[in-house]
Amino acid sequence: MGRALGGAPRARDCRGGLIRLPTHTCGVLVRLQRIWSFDSRNFRSMLLLSLGPKAWPRLSQFKPRILPRSREGEFLHAWSRNLSGQNQPRGPGLRTRLLITTLFGAGLGGAWMAAKAEKEQRQRQQRTEALRQAAVGQGDFSLLDHQGQPRCKADFRGQWVLIYFGFTHCPDICPDELEKLVQVVKQLEAEPYLPMVQPVFITVDPARDDVAAMARYVKDFHPRLLGLTGSTEQVAQVSRSYRVYYSAGPKDEDQDYIVDHSIAIYLLNPDGLFTDYYNRSRSAEQIADSVRRHMAAFHSILS
Amino acid sequence: MSPRDPPISVTVRFHGGPSMKERWVCWGAFDLYWQCLDEHVEDTGWCGQLRSLFEVSCPQQWIKYFDKRRDYLKFKERFEAGQFQPSKSTENS
Repeated sequence: MGRALGGAPRARDCRGGLIRLPTHTCGVLVRLQRIWSFDSRNFRSMLLLSLGPKAWPRLSQFKPRILPRSREGEFLHAWSRNLSGQNQPRGPGLRTRLLITTLFGAGLGGAWMAAKAEKEQRQRQQRTEALRQAAVGQGDFSLLDHQGQPRCKADFRGQWVLIYFGFTHCPDICPDELEKLVQVVKQLEAEPYLPMVQPVFITVDPARDDVAAMARYVKDFHPRLLGLTGSTEQVAQVSRSYRVYYSAGPKDEDQDYIVDHSIAIYLLNPDGLFTDYYNRSRSAEQIADSVRRHMAAFHSILS
Repeated sequence: MSPRDPPISVTVRFHGGPSMKERWVCWGAFDLYWQCLDEHVEDTGWCGQLRSLFEVSCPQQWIKYFDKRRDYLKFKERFEAGQFQPSKSTENS
């Protein structure tokens, strides 16, 4: 019926107006203009009913006499002004679109964070697994203690261990360092809520430092100081594990010699993992502080 | 054991190095000798007695070791006091 009023709306009827509209909307507005140009209420209401979109009931409030019929641009401008306060549904509204976008973005963000958390979890598991393997396999040794009993690294699991590598014929450095190590152990022993620390002395001179020599040596320092010795190969193996350098010097006419060696005190945690090392410049108090800090931060990976 | 008694020779000791007591004796003798050298400005004649005491108190290897240690410390003092100038030949190398 709308076509009876004047044929199909032409696209160029809407061009040049103050607002550019899509062709369909434009066509609707042009039709409306032609409706209002017939000053007949009955005819108008019949057309409104026949054309049918949801917006038509609101249009019945519109007063046709105000409309300037000659200039379509002004018509469109007035039209849009009157409609600005009303919710004209042209597909989904702005609020709905914003809501959908936000939900979509939140969904993407959530998925990304979940994937990231899963990746971190997998990395942590891999690291723990690598540490577990290192705890069991790396730094293992099989030596004799100063009472002749065989010892390996697993025997010390569950204890904090401070290891010093030296030899009994050492002029001054080894006694000084062992004295320092014993001071650290005594300071930590004095605190009852701290776990016990096991001091260990491993010889780098197995040719001369047999079990009896070790027994005689360690008793001068601390009752719990454990001396470890073994064959040349066993000592070489444990020194390699802990990256300890040692080299026997030239022998004099007494067949005496001094072994040059790296000087460090090594800390192992209760899982048997190498945790820290302390060189000659660290005092007993500094070492004890460091051990206390490691103890406080320790979480077992083997239990 | 008085300082004038010779210590047990390390060659017959099969069970480790000097004991704690023997170490302290050696270190004491060495400290006395060093002190004497510092007071008398390296006059080894004056400190000869302390030197022989030092030599009987410590194993041979330790004597050499402590002598080298003392030389090194003296050198370090002189170096840090700036008494060593780089020679011309090393500057261009």
